[in-house]
Amino acid sequence: MGNIKIIKGVFDTKLELKDARVVAGFPSPADDYSHDSLDFNRDFIRHPEASFYGKVEGMSMRDAGILDGDRVIIDRAVEPHDGSIVVGFLNGEFTMKFLDLSHRGDGYIELRPANPDFPVFKITEEDDFEIWGVVVHLIRTFENL
Amino acid sequence: MYGIIDCDNCYVSCERVFRPDLKDVPVVVLSNNDGCVVARSNEAKKMGIKAGMPFFQLAQQFPNQKIAVFSSNYELYGEMTGRVVSLISKEVPAYFRYSIDECFVYLEGMEQSGLKKWGENLHKKIKQYVGMPVSIGIAPNKTLAKAAAHFAKKYKGYRHCCMIDTDEKRVKALKLLPISDVWGIGRRYAKKFERLGIQTAYDFASHHESWVRLTFNNIVIQYTWQELNGQDVITNERLTPKKSICTSRSFRGMVSDLESLKMHVSNYAARCAEKLRTQRTVASIVGVFLHTNPFRTDQPQYWNFQEKNLITPSSSTQTLVKAANDILEQVFVSGYQYKKAGVIVTGIRPDTPIQQDLFDINAHQFQKMKRLDEVIDNINRRHGTETIVLGAQQYTQKDEHGKAEVFANAIKHDHRSKNPTTRWNDIVKLK
Repeated sequence: MGNIKIIKGVFDTKLELKDARVVAGFPSPADDYSHDSLDFNRDFIRHPEASFYGKVEGMSMRDAGILDGDRVIIDRAVEPHDGSIVVGFLNGEFTMKFLDLSHRGDGYIELRPANPDFPVFKITEEDDFEIWGVVVHLIRTFENL
Repeated sequence: MYGIIDCDNCYVSCERVFRPDLKDVPVVVLSNNDGCVVARSNEAKKMGIKAGMPFFQLAQQFPNQKIAVFSSNYELYGEMTGRVVSLISKEVPAYFRYSIDECFVYLEGMEQSGLKKWGENLHKKIKQYVGMPVSIGIAPNKTLAKAAAHFAKKYKGYRHCCMIDTDEKRVKALKLLPISDVWGIGRRYAKKFERLGIQTAYDFASHHESWVRLTFNNIVIQYTWQELNGQDVITNERLTPKKSICTSRSFRGMVSDLESLKMHVSNYAARCAEKLRTQRTVASIVGVFLHTNPFRTDQPQYWNFQEKNLITPSSSTQTLVKAANDILEQVFVSGYQYKKAGVIVTGIRPDTPIQQDLFDINAHQFQKMKRLDEVIDNINRRHGTETIVLGAQQYTQKDEHGKAEVFANAIKHDHRSKNPTTRWNDIVKLK
């Protein structure tokens, strides 16, 4: 019992975890390196206001490792470039494909699937097509929550 | 300088983000219960569809036209406009959300010569990030900022941002601005202005102040006159958000500690909850403000206002009290002598379900209720609003299986869109 100190005083402020260790008499050598825990939202969602979620239906991106039922995070703040996986609205539905800009000089771009069983979409300027967002992360769940 | 950021056809624009195919199509959004038109796209306005038109008349008057019709989906609109406000808040020293689709900003300390460009870029950013088109007005006071936004919305040449920063521009704007479009007074006094032969904002602003006082004997109109003439008189205190309930008090002395402030703010929140229940409504946004005494220039000054969306719109005391206290903890900074605090609830709409004696509760019940509230909110958060509702929230009407309907189903919404930003089941499907 000799090592336990009784602390007197007013405890109206919140005790920080760091301080609590000091009070207990075992200052941790890790205190100087204390750091907030990793946080997926904080570290992976760069533009929260521009981030939306999508659910993959079908196997058109199979060879890129994106499968039916996967969830993706779409960031509208990211500028699409050649080779980006983008989300666009085509024929009344949202679609996710590789963006191919190599024919831009010829007046069209392509949306390419990652599966030979699916068609390549050729889009010209008259098509009034807009890229809705860029896929930045893939989430696959293996165990149900 | 002040700015106003105004979402263009807000509800329609929210719907269009997830329906890009409706870009150039007439779109309308209906009120609760699908009663009448509350929002219209520009195409719908051009067709002659009026705000407030009953839904059944729409089909009668425009039998062969393709009009996209949506039931109102406040869960979606609340989340999407929250994103807009969040983007705005990161760029300005202070902001004040005036309604679901309008946000005032205070631009002091920002380089004035760059403000027009800043506004244009802010529009671009909000359009790209959230998909929401906005119109921005910048001027030395709120009334002129609103007028500037009016022109930004009307004329494409402004690239979504109009600034009134010289007296010459002010006079030119007022001459072009119909009195009926002046913020805050136009519609209410339209007939009187007509009788007086006042057609433009300029006609009104050119009268002498004493004439305004004698003719109207109304302080709001007097403020408007002063602002049209360039003064800055409509302070945040004089400005209550649209369709809102505010409870605030100046403290008898000064208050500096968080615990005392919590007590006050809890009481204000409880009072707001009572008012909501009296008028049988629920609120979806809770805001808290606090400030020091601006007349005590010898003391350090602090002012802040923040708000949060409730997962489930509520008029329950414990929900509002908890939300208000959470916000207070965020805005409170120690070391200041506070003079006033208040709670503002917005996003108010009717609460159709019957509420029994749910709110006559004692301390023991309160603890239980609090726990219950959290469980319900958690379930609703994961599985969608109103997966679980309190027994007392249950609707008296029975569905086809003889079960009591919940609030969400009891409201008619045949054309309700999905909630891709608040429910996992509704996220965007990608082929």
